[in-house]
Amino acid sequence: MNGIHDMGGMHGLGPIDREENEPVFHHAWERRAFALNMAAGFLGDWNIDMSRYAREQMPPAEYLATSYYEHWLWGLERLLVEKGLLTRTEIEARVAELRRRAPR
Amino acid sequence: MSDHHDHDHSEEGSPLTETELRVRALESLLVEKGLVDPAALDALIDTYETKVGPRNGAHVVAHAWADPAYKARLLEDGSKAIAELGYMGRQGEDMVVLENTPKVHNMVVCTLCSCYPWPVLGLPPVWYKSAPYRSRAVLDPRGVLRELGVEVPEDVEVRVWDSTSEVRYLVLPERPRGTEGWSEAELAGIVTRDSMIGVAKVPAPARGARR
Amino acid sequence: MLRAADVGTVLLKGGPARLPDDVAPRFKAGDRVVARTLNPTGHTRLPRYARGRRGVVDRDYGVFVFADASAMGQGKKPQHLYSVRFAARELWGPAASARDVVFIDLWDDHLDPA
Repeated sequence: MNGIHDMGGMHGLGPIDREENEPVFHHAWERRAFALNMAAGFLGDWNIDMSRYAREQMPPAEYLATSYYEHWLWGLERLLVEKGLLTRTEIEARVAELRRRAPR
Repeated sequence: MSDHHDHDHSEEGSPLTETELRVRALESLLVEKGLVDPAALDALIDTYETKVGPRNGAHVVAHAWADPAYKARLLEDGSKAIAELGYMGRQGEDMVVLENTPKVHNMVVCTLCSCYPWPVLGLPPVWYKSAPYRSRAVLDPRGVLRELGVEVPEDVEVRVWDSTSEVRYLVLPERPRGTEGWSEAELAGIVTRDSMIGVAKVPAPARGARR
Repeated sequence: MLRAADVGTVLLKGGPARLPDDVAPRFKAGDRVVARTLNPTGHTRLPRYARGRRGVVDRDYGVFVFADASAMGQGKKPQHLYSVRFAARELWGPAASARDVVFIDLWDDHLDPA
């Protein structure tokens, strides 16, 4: 698709911001998002090409404003629902429940 | 999916961000349904945080610098030669090694996503996966190199490799002067990740810098 | 379900996209090609900046899963994958470097003879 991910040649996306000695993961949630993607993919309900295509469908403004592993999270949710492993309803219900129980 | 992503980093004791909530929600659901094993998640994380990284690629490069026959094999069949040293597998099943010379400078990008040779370099750094590099590497490689501290003379050919397939590219950087007679371990110690992506050269060591 | 004990083996094995070499290639090294102008709403690994641009096949990597089809549930559609060399000026116009090149991995279904 002619999506926002197809960035070769675009202008205006800013300077290259290179962090020296950056850690492999910047947040604990990134570790989990990475590992969940891999482990869920191992179930065989989708292939790597499908996982890339899923991320490509993120709305462009959101794609540009979010980080790499947020793209992975978005794509994973989409695949899990699309392939019937989870439903949108149960995901949102769990998110709501965790939000209620989270420390304030 | 919620439109309200909270991108702020949460700190100890502060409320969970939307992103953290969503990741926890997915993990808890997948674990409950017996689809994902939490210990497997930990093993995956541990592999890429501690076991697989650019030191692997540095070993390959150092071996190639030290052993001309290995270098020839490496350039002929990257996957096979890299596997000789025990590095193989996910996101590195088909490897091609690109030799930098005084006349040719190779640089690797994935404009469409973040494809990167995991078995030899580990997971890619944020800048490699980000919009500025992905957009400009193919369009203005010399400008990108200059921004990252590398000046490429006009008579050198810059080759940018866009990783659009499952073939994965590793740059074999030029061996710097001043390393004659160094052991492989000493050589491996100066090979940087960025030099194996093609956005840096391996600097000549300062006198007495040998380790 | 992936178990912790299997993680190491699974990662070392990987997920090769290479397939048996029993499909005829349409091109060989040295052939002049033009990347197709296509605009699928589905997945494609042919970037927009290369569409309609002329290049030269540098290398035939052999037969691989065709990502564009695989992503859409259309099966592996095995075909040859090539490294295609494009001059910077061909991609970006006369203001670009006269010397520099971009190599893109493209499949048979992305290319026509030029």
